[in-house]
Amino acid sequence: MASLFKDPTKLSAYRDRRFSGSQEDFERALLASITVYVGNMSFYTTEEQVYELFSRAGEIKKIIMGLDKNTKTPCGFCFVLFYSREDAEDAVKYISGTILDDRPIRVDFDWGFQEGRQWGRGRSGGQVRDEYRTDYDPGRGGYGKLVQRELEAQRQLVDYGAGSLGSFPPVMPPQYGRHGGSHGHGGSYRRDYHRKRHRDDDRHGHETSKRISDHESRRISDHDSRPEKNPRFRESGDSDDDEEDDRKRRS
Amino acid sequence: MSSWRDLLLRIGDKSPEYGTSSDFKDHIETCFGVLRRELEHSEDEILNVLLDCAEQLPHKIPLFGTLIGLMNLENEDFVRKVVEKTQTNLQDGLDSGNCNRIRILMRFLTVLMCSKVIQPSSLVVVFETLLSSAATTVDEEKGNPSWQACADFYITCILSCLPWGGAELMEQVPEEIERVMVGVEAYLSIRRHASDTGLSFFEDDDETENGEKDFLEDLWSRVQDLSNNGWKLDSVPRPHLSFEAQLVAGKSHEFVPISCPEQHHSPSTLSVINHGQQKHEAELKYPQRIRRLNIFPASKAEDLQPIDRFVVEEYLLDVLFFFNGSRKECASFMVGLPVPFRYEYLMAETIFSQLLMLPQPPFKPIYYTLVIIDLCKALPGAFPAVVAGAVRALFEKIADLDMECQTRLILWFSHHLSNFQFIWPWEEWAYVLDLPKWAPQRVFVQEVLEREVRLSYWDKVKQSIENAPGLEELLPPKGGPNFIFSVEGDRERTEQHALSADLCNMVKGRAAAREIITWVEESVLPIHGLEVTLKVVVQTLLDIGSKSFTHLITVLERYGQVIAKLCPDQDKHAMLIAEVGYYWKNNAQMAAIAIDRMMGYRLVSNLAIVRWVFSPENIDQFHTSDHPWEVLRNAVSKTYNRISDLRKEISSLKKVIISAEEAATKAKVELEAAESKLSLVDGEPVVGETPSKLTRFKSNAEKKKEEEVSARESLEAKDALLARALDENKALFLSLYKNFSIVLTERLPDPSRAGTLRELKSTHADSMAVDLEESAAMEVDNENSRQKSQSNGGRTSNGYNIGEKEQWCLSTLGYVKAFSRQYASEIWPHIEKLEAEVLTENTHPLFRKAVYCGLRRPNNQA
Repeated sequence: MASLFKDPTKLSAYRDRRFSGSQEDFERALLASITVYVGNMSFYTTEEQVYELFSRAGEIKKIIMGLDKNTKTPCGFCFVLFYSREDAEDAVKYISGTILDDRPIRVDFDWGFQEGRQWGRGRSGGQVRDEYRTDYDPGRGGYGKLVQRELEAQRQLVDYGAGSLGSFPPVMPPQYGRHGGSHGHGGSYRRDYHRKRHRDDDRHGHETSKRISDHESRRISDHDSRPEKNPRFRESGDSDDDEEDDRKRRS
Repeated sequence: MSSWRDLLLRIGDKSPEYGTSSDFKDHIETCFGVLRRELEHSEDEILNVLLDCAEQLPHKIPLFGTLIGLMNLENEDFVRKVVEKTQTNLQDGLDSGNCNRIRILMRFLTVLMCSKVIQPSSLVVVFETLLSSAATTVDEEKGNPSWQACADFYITCILSCLPWGGAELMEQVPEEIERVMVGVEAYLSIRRHASDTGLSFFEDDDETENGEKDFLEDLWSRVQDLSNNGWKLDSVPRPHLSFEAQLVAGKSHEFVPISCPEQHHSPSTLSVINHGQQKHEAELKYPQRIRRLNIFPASKAEDLQPIDRFVVEEYLLDVLFFFNGSRKECASFMVGLPVPFRYEYLMAETIFSQLLMLPQPPFKPIYYTLVIIDLCKALPGAFPAVVAGAVRALFEKIADLDMECQTRLILWFSHHLSNFQFIWPWEEWAYVLDLPKWAPQRVFVQEVLEREVRLSYWDKVKQSIENAPGLEELLPPKGGPNFIFSVEGDRERTEQHALSADLCNMVKGRAAAREIITWVEESVLPIHGLEVTLKVVVQTLLDIGSKSFTHLITVLERYGQVIAKLCPDQDKHAMLIAEVGYYWKNNAQMAAIAIDRMMGYRLVSNLAIVRWVFSPENIDQFHTSDHPWEVLRNAVSKTYNRISDLRKEISSLKKVIISAEEAATKAKVELEAAESKLSLVDGEPVVGETPSKLTRFKSNAEKKKEEEVSARESLEAKDALLARALDENKALFLSLYKNFSIVLTERLPDPSRAGTLRELKSTHADSMAVDLEESAAMEVDNENSRQKSQSNGGRTSNGYNIGEKEQWCLSTLGYVKAFSRQYASEIWPHIEKLEAEVLTENTHPLFRKAVYCGLRRPNNQA
């Protein structure tokens, strides 16, 4: 339907450069695919949340979470496999651009999952887009990796006293502040001990980074209530994988 | 300069193509100016795009019609082609039963008539053709009244044209159009009133509907109003009037008469069942487009002429249909219809009527979720408040809302809120805590919160209800697993804990399923017995797979055989499901997923799931929780999906076989030709027909033959699988209905006291009235006292005073109807068996009615 306004040849705005075939093969794969790629997810979104949302488009066969290749923790993307092509099409049509976990996610056809594609392709282990971005995104580990490294370097030059990057105020949209934390922004309240994703302990355990609202800090230990221990200190970026993640080129 | 294509697409819109002007006359002139120049080079393309526009942007048809009228003044030949192509397309729509195409092209013809492109009498001929086909269909002797849905559709199409050209027809061919109107009236008098209580949004409709108009009768009265009003209405632009002086000079083209496809004849005496089956088929093919859902009181909604409401609904439904998948266009056309009045309330009612439409909406419910989100963003000042008003109004009436609609509303609302930071004035609904736990409003709030938690997380949802902290009581448990062999903390460790730890270590050591089976069969089962073994194995494996959906799948794929070996039959399946339910008792989502996956791996059968759903602890929550129903819905839909996947595979395999046959025959012919050539020149091989080439022909022929044979073999295999799946399906529904029948028969009051839903609802109130008279000194238990004190003070805050047992019956009957309706097509083939084994003479009339309503079978026993 709606062939009047859509260019039916444009299946997807990007091209995965790791796809080995021709552009034609790529398009054929997209046309037949029952797999969708889901991007711009929070690092804290669980498979069960994805399941609840995407099962509204159809019966789900499999979910593959994208993982940081160093830490083996979710890094903000996943693949969802359906049983039928029609359901995959509906997921792209109806879910792309809507909110999951307070973030607008995007959903595109994918040419098909293969072992290895679950790993982030960024230098630091996560997705490439998280290397270069300069905004503060609490749902995706704070600042981009590059900025994090720069801040770390500065911190070593100048002692800010706090001994923590907590002294860098996160850039948050003001309206969230107004709500006094009651309508939290994605990720801000994430690692609560009582959360269902606690089941994922051994996968999420390291993620102690936390910005805490007043009422939550009551139940949480002192150590945790300091806004820090950020994944941004996790590693120094000596990965030799320098490849591009083409996803960041999506428009 | 914009391209002619963009000008056509954007005509009538506020868009850069047309600069600042929003006057239709300017748009038409601009577009016409460009088209007349382009016609020389791109005639065919313009013809195609123009017709596509007419069919896919039907709210702009008057503009396209006028444009074509103007072109007719300069290029009769082109317009003749437009008319011919329209005729071909309309005939094609009639032959294939493409309802949208028929309806929209008839509107297009009407508008072409207004622009003098075709004669009014040609249009009247089209009307009369449809009218006569419809009259034949409903004729008991010549036709087949089971197909009234088709006949009604034809008449709807005729009436739907009148807002666009009623005035012109009346002016130019008054006698002919009068004849058509008389014909429609005659048709209305012989057709049957379409009373489809199985599809009403509200349960009490069936008792109030008597005397209410059905869709066609309603449309007829709107058209009569229109006629009485001198055919004047606001919702249809009439741009041809601005060009009338020019258009009269146009030459009218001939419109070749159309023909309606042969009607489905049948032996004049159809059995009741046969009639029901055919009626069902007809209604699937010619579905009613909308069932009106009146959400808002008349004082609140826009004050419009009935026919204007009808026209705006048509516009909205067309945009929803043609712009499915194009978010931006869909929202902008929805809010920018060519009408001079506001219509937010009507728009909300129309979208909700689609979202809740029974048996199913034209698209998945999530589509309407998206549309509502987009409209809230497109009209931030107006639409969110209207949506909130709709939610409040539906919430008020939720006790009477159809069960299927309740489920859809819960899924929609939770998803909607998740897109808007979960903000909702929950304090307005805090009073549901004072209602008994089975009150539908309370269950609604509880289920919305459950779904919100699934989409988000517990603490987040808790924060969102801060304005009504008491509602925390209705939040689901925090959702961790309930692992009885946990070794954390100081819990007592038994021998079973040790077994569980052993199993866990084996799995961590990547032991093969086979090794574990041996271990179970040699070291556990003989010593500890089945019950303990099953508990240890199932709990431990579930715990290993508890971290995520993927962990679960991995464990089931790797060690499913261990479970299968331990649970080979339905009794054990039922124990297995019960164990899953116990392990995930705090997390309804994971319980449902685990059971669903186990059915996927055929570790449990659908029959075992039905058995679990009808176990005492689940029966007890039929009216207070969606959980058992979710599991049942999954099981039935998985069974159904298997069937429909196999049907699709079989139909594509059949196509493969046909082409494989052709390829094999062709290869054989080639081979024979080559062989005969070779024999002709015996002893003297001809160049090109070397033995190697012959071998190639031979191997090719063999290969093609093999492909054909293997395609046939896979077809046979699929046919066998389908037969098995159909058997499973039949067994499933029989078991389902038997179980429903048993539990309902046990609990429904005697038919003499509760023969209708209304009586059922009032039985409790009556008994309470009696109680109250006698109860001055009577002790009542806790739950009841809360309720009674409220009924003492008159009524509960929303007048809910239905007893637990009655609500249980109402809810369960609601689900009976919902399942019957959703799977009617799969149930109809087994209706005779069902009647013989379940719906016997002693069946309670309310149960029978729920089944028949759902199947939309005329209930001649009531």
